[in-house]
Amino acid sequence: MRELWLRFQRAIRGLWAGLRQWCGDSAYETYLACAAQQRGSKPLSAGEFYVEQLNRKYSRPSRCC
Amino acid sequence: MKQLLKIIVWTAVAALGAAALSTIALHRGEPISATWFVLAAACSYLVSYRLYSSFIAAKLLALDNTRATPAERRDDGCDFVPTNKWVLFGHHFAAIAGPGPLVGPTLAAQFGYLPGTLWLVAGAAFAGCVQDFVILFCSIRRDGKTLGEMAREEVSKRSGFLAQLAILSIMIILLAVVALVIVNALKSSPWATFTLSMTIPIALLLGVYLRYLRPGRVLEASLIGVALVLFVVVAGQWVADSPAWAKVFTMSGITLTFAIIAYGFAASALPVWLLLAPRDYLSAFIKAGAIFSLAAGILLVRPQVLMPPLTRFVDGNGPVFAGKIFPFCFITIACGAISGFHSLISSGTTPKMIQREGHARFIGYGAMLLESFVGVMAMVAACAMTPGVYFAINSPTSIVGATPAAAAATISSWGYPLSADTMTGLAHAVGEQTLLNRAGGAPSLAVGMAQIFSSTIGGERLLGIWYHFAIMFEALFILTVLDAGTRVGRFMIQELGGRAWKPLGRMNWMPSTLLSSAIIVGAWGYFLYQGVVDPLGGINSLWPLFGIANQLLAAVALVVATTILMKMGKLKWIWVTLLPMAWLVTITMTASCQKIFSANARIGFLAQANALAAQLAGGKVAAAKIVETQRNILNLRLDAVVTAVLAGMILVLLVEALVQWYAILSRSREPVLQETPYVATQWAEGD
Repeated sequence: MRELWLRFQRAIRGLWAGLRQWCGDSAYETYLACAAQQRGSKPLSAGEFYVEQLNRKYSRPSRCC
Repeated sequence: MKQLLKIIVWTAVAALGAAALSTIALHRGEPISATWFVLAAACSYLVSYRLYSSFIAAKLLALDNTRATPAERRDDGCDFVPTNKWVLFGHHFAAIAGPGPLVGPTLAAQFGYLPGTLWLVAGAAFAGCVQDFVILFCSIRRDGKTLGEMAREEVSKRSGFLAQLAILSIMIILLAVVALVIVNALKSSPWATFTLSMTIPIALLLGVYLRYLRPGRVLEASLIGVALVLFVVVAGQWVADSPAWAKVFTMSGITLTFAIIAYGFAASALPVWLLLAPRDYLSAFIKAGAIFSLAAGILLVRPQVLMPPLTRFVDGNGPVFAGKIFPFCFITIACGAISGFHSLISSGTTPKMIQREGHARFIGYGAMLLESFVGVMAMVAACAMTPGVYFAINSPTSIVGATPAAAAATISSWGYPLSADTMTGLAHAVGEQTLLNRAGGAPSLAVGMAQIFSSTIGGERLLGIWYHFAIMFEALFILTVLDAGTRVGRFMIQELGGRAWKPLGRMNWMPSTLLSSAIIVGAWGYFLYQGVVDPLGGINSLWPLFGIANQLLAAVALVVATTILMKMGKLKWIWVTLLPMAWLVTITMTASCQKIFSANARIGFLAQANALAAQLAGGKVAAAKIVETQRNILNLRLDAVVTAVLAGMILVLLVEALVQWYAILSRSREPVLQETPYVATQWAEGD
């Protein structure tokens, strides 16, 4: 029973993480994790990263007909 | 034993699909349950995914999970981000699913349910999914290069330029036609106009919230936004019921046209975080919710499909758009079966985020199957209303008359019984002044969806709310396509213009931004205006143009794919991309010729222009209508030129490809593949 409950919790956590990744909620966390591995320039702030990411995304076809 | 069980299960799925397809194909007389459509589509998709896509993955593409993808090799946390395959599937599907698979099948329902449904299922399995899958694979093997870059490197420089030109053409025509769908849905409708107008301040509010208050917290902002949007759908009824406010939000087609043009310009020139991005978030959540609800509604209600399998308009004289099943059904339904635009997504963000080559099958082929399923649901929703009502909503006044009585008499004379009271009562029930002359697919789909939803929750009482929810859902993501497309078009013009005059190419220079925004908005705005004042309703001329442009881009994508596969030495299986390419070239060329040269004035642009010119020369046009007629003649000739240019581009591209293929096959030139070299993955099998 406990095993089942743990599995259920894992599934819910996975779904939540997937939803956050799908809608872009966790994009900054992903960026920070990646930036931490690369030495050099200071990482962007959350606001700067948000604008930078949007400018890149909407400069190429991102939504179909 | 396990193998035997698998064979039995898949044989049963195939048999069930065949039975369901036969039922919808051979059924005559009484209405048929929508369950057959769901079964036929679902079983066909399962079988094609299980057999055809795995054949393509193994034999044609030889997907290699030991090879590192661009997301692994170039992981930068921004563009190249390894992403879980289910999440990436959601991303990819949200990007490819636009208004096309909803509007196209709804318009094609004028032929009856059968031609469109068969094309949706077969076209997706053998053409659309193949294109998306193969282009995704090609882009993964080239570090996520775009279709234009691959065309330039693998086919020829001229093909790369043609691809860019095709993308710009399709963008302009697409934006005009989707804007026309919105205009036809909103005109004389204070409820719908208020609801959609309010999404602009809501998006601005979310934009400020996401930029300054809680940067990047998309989920919570979207939930607030969705709640506000649902509130304004309900509030729209109060506006419509108030004589003073209803007057403010009751607009003509022309007024709406200029409002949408001004909106497109603002969305293109304003910072992206302020209006475009928050609207896109709202649209993505509402789109996912509405599509899921429609699927659930169809499964729960199992509506009867009242449209016959084939209508009398297979003869080419349909009121929604003129032309026979071949080729017009195949260009009217583009996105649900095959859409060139998808190749831009498959060679855009998705290849930079894919974890394993093996995921390309699920994401490229699978997401397109789901999009096709959305198209089948739209077909069911449109065909679940009585044919008379469908034709009354979608036919222009010049064909059926302007009053409910005249429309009912004309449509009944076609053999689809309709009373004037039915149309008046339906318009009243959904909170509209009239539902006549609303060509474009959105209102008829909204009526179909509202009838399905209200059978599940609320009954007749909530029909108006459901109708306006459906209109808002369609208009919201059409506007998202409009502003995102206008912005991309602006960048393309800046890039192309920058070659002639360097300052124009500076993306952050305000005069360049404003000028290029004005050019792209002016281009699609012109076609939109032309559609709104067109006496035949606009959709008759613009939707086929859009279909031709979209399928032209698909032909470009398949030419690039075929060339790459030839260079890879996959001649034995080359028919996988070659046959859909040949089919697309055939339908686009046939449709182009008919749209230019047909002697039938409802089909041929030149014939219609000549007929109007003859009326003008013969003094049969009233003085007040002379300027309007002259403008219509000019527009028709312009449409003929645009169609000829599109057809010319297909021919040039084909010649380029044939020269290239001859060189490869005759071994007169060593084929050079521009793939990135093999690098083994560092990830374990289960990662």
